[in-house]
Amino acid sequence: MATRWLGARIKRNEDPRLLTGHGLFVDDVQLPGMLHAAVLRSPHAHARLLRVDARRAAEHPEVVLVLTHADLPPALQQPLPKLIPHPTLRHHKTQYALAPDKVRHVGEPVAFVVATSRYAAEDALDLIEVEYEPLPAVVDLEEAAAGRPVLVHEDIGTNVAAHYVQRVGDYEAARARGHRVLARRFVVDRGCASPLETRGVVAHWDAKVRQLTVWDSTQAPIPIRNGLAALLGLPQRDVRVVAPDVGGGFGPKIMMFYPEEVLVPLAAMRLGRPVKWVEDRREHFVATNHERTQIHDAEIAVDEDGRILGVRTVFLHDAGAYIPYGLIVPIVAECTLPGPYRVPNYHAEFQAVFTNKTIVSPYRGAGRPHGVFVMERLLDLAARELGLDRAEIRRRNFIQPDQFPYDVGLIYQDNAPLVYDSGDYPAALERALEAVGYDRWPQEKARYRAEGRRVGLGFACYVEGSGIGPYEGCRVTVEPSGKVYVATGVGTQGQGHFTSLAQVVADALGVDVRDVHVVTGDTAAFGWGTGTFASRAAVVAGSAAHLAAQAVREKALQVAATLLEASPQDLELVDGQVRVRGAPSRSVSLGEVARAANPLRGVIPSEWEGPGLEATRYFAPPRGTFANGVHAALVEVDPETATIRFLRYVVVHDCGVVLNPLILDGQIHGGVAQGIGGSFFERLVYDEYGQLLSGSFLDFQIPTAMEIPEIEVHHLETPSPLNPLGAKGAGEGGVIPVPALLAQAIEDALDDLDLEVTQMPLHPDALFRLIRSAPRRPA
Amino acid sequence: MRIEGTHTLHAPRDRVWALLDDPQSLARCTPGMQELRPLGPEEFEAVLSIGIAAVRGTYKGKLRITERTPPERYAVQVEGTSGAGFVRAVGLLELVDRGPQTEVRWSGDVQVGGALTIGSRMIPGIARMLAGQFFQCLDEQLRNA
Amino acid sequence: MKPPVFEYCDPTTVEEAVDCLAERGEAAKVLAGGQSLLPLLNLRLARPDCLVDINRLDELDYLHEEAGWLRVGARVRQRRVEESEEVARRVPLLAEAVRYVGHPQIRNRGTVCGSLAHADPAAELPGVAVALGARLLVRSRLGTREIPAEQFFTGQLTTALRPDELLVEAQFPVFPAGWGWAFVEVTNRHGDYALCGVAAGVYVEDRRVRDVRLAYVGAGPTPVRLREVELAAVEDFRVAGEEARARLSPDGDLHASAEFRRHLAAVLTGRALRRAFERATGGEPHA
Repeated sequence: MATRWLGARIKRNEDPRLLTGHGLFVDDVQLPGMLHAAVLRSPHAHARLLRVDARRAAEHPEVVLVLTHADLPPALQQPLPKLIPHPTLRHHKTQYALAPDKVRHVGEPVAFVVATSRYAAEDALDLIEVEYEPLPAVVDLEEAAAGRPVLVHEDIGTNVAAHYVQRVGDYEAARARGHRVLARRFVVDRGCASPLETRGVVAHWDAKVRQLTVWDSTQAPIPIRNGLAALLGLPQRDVRVVAPDVGGGFGPKIMMFYPEEVLVPLAAMRLGRPVKWVEDRREHFVATNHERTQIHDAEIAVDEDGRILGVRTVFLHDAGAYIPYGLIVPIVAECTLPGPYRVPNYHAEFQAVFTNKTIVSPYRGAGRPHGVFVMERLLDLAARELGLDRAEIRRRNFIQPDQFPYDVGLIYQDNAPLVYDSGDYPAALERALEAVGYDRWPQEKARYRAEGRRVGLGFACYVEGSGIGPYEGCRVTVEPSGKVYVATGVGTQGQGHFTSLAQVVADALGVDVRDVHVVTGDTAAFGWGTGTFASRAAVVAGSAAHLAAQAVREKALQVAATLLEASPQDLELVDGQVRVRGAPSRSVSLGEVARAANPLRGVIPSEWEGPGLEATRYFAPPRGTFANGVHAALVEVDPETATIRFLRYVVVHDCGVVLNPLILDGQIHGGVAQGIGGSFFERLVYDEYGQLLSGSFLDFQIPTAMEIPEIEVHHLETPSPLNPLGAKGAGEGGVIPVPALLAQAIEDALDDLDLEVTQMPLHPDALFRLIRSAPRRPA
Repeated sequence: MRIEGTHTLHAPRDRVWALLDDPQSLARCTPGMQELRPLGPEEFEAVLSIGIAAVRGTYKGKLRITERTPPERYAVQVEGTSGAGFVRAVGLLELVDRGPQTEVRWSGDVQVGGALTIGSRMIPGIARMLAGQFFQCLDEQLRNA
Repeated sequence: MKPPVFEYCDPTTVEEAVDCLAERGEAAKVLAGGQSLLPLLNLRLARPDCLVDINRLDELDYLHEEAGWLRVGARVRQRRVEESEEVARRVPLLAEAVRYVGHPQIRNRGTVCGSLAHADPAAELPGVAVALGARLLVRSRLGTREIPAEQFFTGQLTTALRPDELLVEAQFPVFPAGWGWAFVEVTNRHGDYALCGVAAGVYVEDRRVRDVRLAYVGAGPTPVRLREVELAAVEDFRVAGEEARARLSPDGDLHASAEFRRHLAAVLTGRALRRAFERATGGEPHA
């Protein structure tokens, strides 16, 4: 089958619409009689809620409804659903729609106001009197694990939600045999995604037909629909959830439920009028999930040649005030740590700990950056200790291309064994090193040094689990117009599914990619699916699209065969026509075939299995497929001002078969930008009272175009054997190795100092302190 | 946020103490104090209007005297809430006898919440400025008495 | 983040503007570019009863030199100053520093006088005003008065402006030939408020430094000029840096400790002075 669209670097179908202001984001939804909501949020990180008096707010002439916990129906007074249980998650505490008697993080919702405008709603928030009894805040992760200063959830007697150990082989024995054992503490601190569009929900209840429509800036509209139906006592078929255009998701927009996702529909049903809530940026910093804080005490045992005998990490994971999303992030962190290396003995142990901070759930990378940071740093330490070149130590430990499938020995986040399907790790490293000029680097570096400039070269390798199940589905329909309509349950937040899925289908059906219209994220269009996360949508939904398109293709050939009085094997689909191979004048348009497949009279052959050119297929991968990559960069450090500048940035990326290199580049660029931002610029800084001090873009410094270098992308392709496209996920690769790379680059730039970077993110003051306290390295 | 400083008051220590111990003098010198109503022997309800430039708010809250060791140590706890958030502070004053003058060593810990956290980098400077205004006012009262 | 209710005054003459302020006093805030005020309003940190919008005061939209002073009216946008050849020639320090103010989008709306009246301790333009010895012209119903820059900035976000006064003009002196200027700052990202910034001027005659101007931003509640550091710089740039480190007492905050800021002040003193020297001598480096 000729591939014309798949793999082509074409512009996106959706861009003309988006770039000319014709997107529909949640805030663009305007309905007659629509009201506006605002949320009163706790200013305290930890406090008893003694009294909430909303009478003056309720009396405000423009206020229509005020809700506190006591005003909620019983189903909504309970903690919201547990999403992903795990046998070791003993205390699966989840958040409330409105706090009942205690608040556990700054930003936790306490009351909900609906008024004629957002201005009036915020005026009404000022009128609500709340009496809090502040409690000591649980902020420091190690103190929290020890139960100090207090318990976040008093009824469980601990701040430790889960304690999970995974083992491969026998690390203790390996350690005893080791020629060297290097141990360090590594700390990664809190970050957040900062999507361009904050969260938002609009709900409309049609009382006549008893149907609820919800527009939600979510990555998982179908689970939201199912959960809302259950909570509100409605049939699933009477609830429609639409994730329209979404301005960035990155992980935090997949949650069930954020309180507002429940309160807005409830209010709409009570009032019989549409209700809109749009999160402002200040709320977003405290009310939308964070990620990243982990403290790893890790060690590596190596032999004299630098071969890994074993690795151990014991770490604390900061879950925030509640843990609805379960243990995905720490599990992914420990499963990503072994990376592209043979780690015959591995001990990974973590405690997930409650703190009085915003809830933690996956953010682009979802624990992989942590795993990579620990492993790459340990290898760099071992290399330095043994006097080995840092590339060489990696070469000696790579899983080789002929060793696939490779069973790491762990259980991954999808509860399936962690088995790498394909990859060529040595080739990726060589390509990256060649692109960045590693062999010439000592001379280059000396040249910079002679000019008085401190430039370092850093690189890092990673393996990324992606494309996991459980499944996604897709329906492909050819209409009599000849245009093709595709519907799938995943949502799109900028990944270009409207184009990549169209490319998959266009190739199968021999049509122009612009004639394929894709709908994502609308439960009315497609009602089965799990969501956009874990770098899986293009792989899993794309595979489902491929299977459905292939089924439609087969049927088109069958139906056309009867029209053209030929055998299906002699027919081909080209440019929207079905024609006899070698006799192109004998053809019929795909649209005519669609019409013919749905006659008003006559007999339909049983082989057709029903009318129309339409098929729905599901793809349920047996397990995840593993992308990999290597990043390498040149970073200049100004040792006097402790500021950095990226001079070059090289990405070698293997996500199997590439659906659209232009879209892939965009994913990589965005990931690298978030990786750079999360390594040196963005910091969520808390004081000892649990107050977020950097809760605005004034202080949370996302990098601008001036801070992000040109990114040179090189592709390798080791196809995945696990799906019909041969594709692997590409959404998160950009961000994963950046902290490890930057740490190595800084050490390389300042290699006359005995300086170790074991903490991320850094910023100038932190780098200044490292530089100042580092002794000179003996020559 | 911890802040500290010293201020010299032009009066002997026992007179400084007497002034500090008098709620009305305190009220008169506390910048922006609009109301100070006793709730008990060591507790007051307070309404203050403070801020700098455009960032101004009316804070309702409580002031509690947590330590009183005449004529040397005086500690207070203050908390106030406004539309923009809340402020909680503890302050310790140590009076050192310098003959006709008194050296006041003061230290404080200020916590803010709500929208005020956005200006957190300004807090030490503002707190220091308010403390300066407070002591300057006390000094004037002592000089004019 | 929606502002609370406020009244809106839309004067078309300076007299009208000043009348609005006189009537409202402390409860009024002037709106020029809005780049500092609007975020405060939206966050409800500022709750003025009345906004006095001066964007229609055409009579304040002038930028020209007169009798040795560059006169900048209150409605002049930072972008206009950045693009002005006249400013680049006559007050080069101002032309250089304004490029560090935020991003072009901000400079398209923000005004020079607005930045001075806002008086953020880490802002660049107040530092320029203090380094050059600018004069601020202020109008009220009672008339006009002139405030020298070193008296204008009184604290964090606080100036000598009374509630009923409008800053109508900033005057920057034109320095004679022989002076070279430089503005340097350290930020983590391009366009941020300075962790530390230095405005430096060096007067060179016969290849020797005769006089120095130095002002620091981000090192205290107001821009700081220390004559002792300037005098030290006449002799030795590096010593001047150490003097600055010893004499400045910046506050630490979540971005930078006091110690780091003092360190930056020392480093930037040298860099700014050396660059100013090169400009004074037409490219010759300082010994």
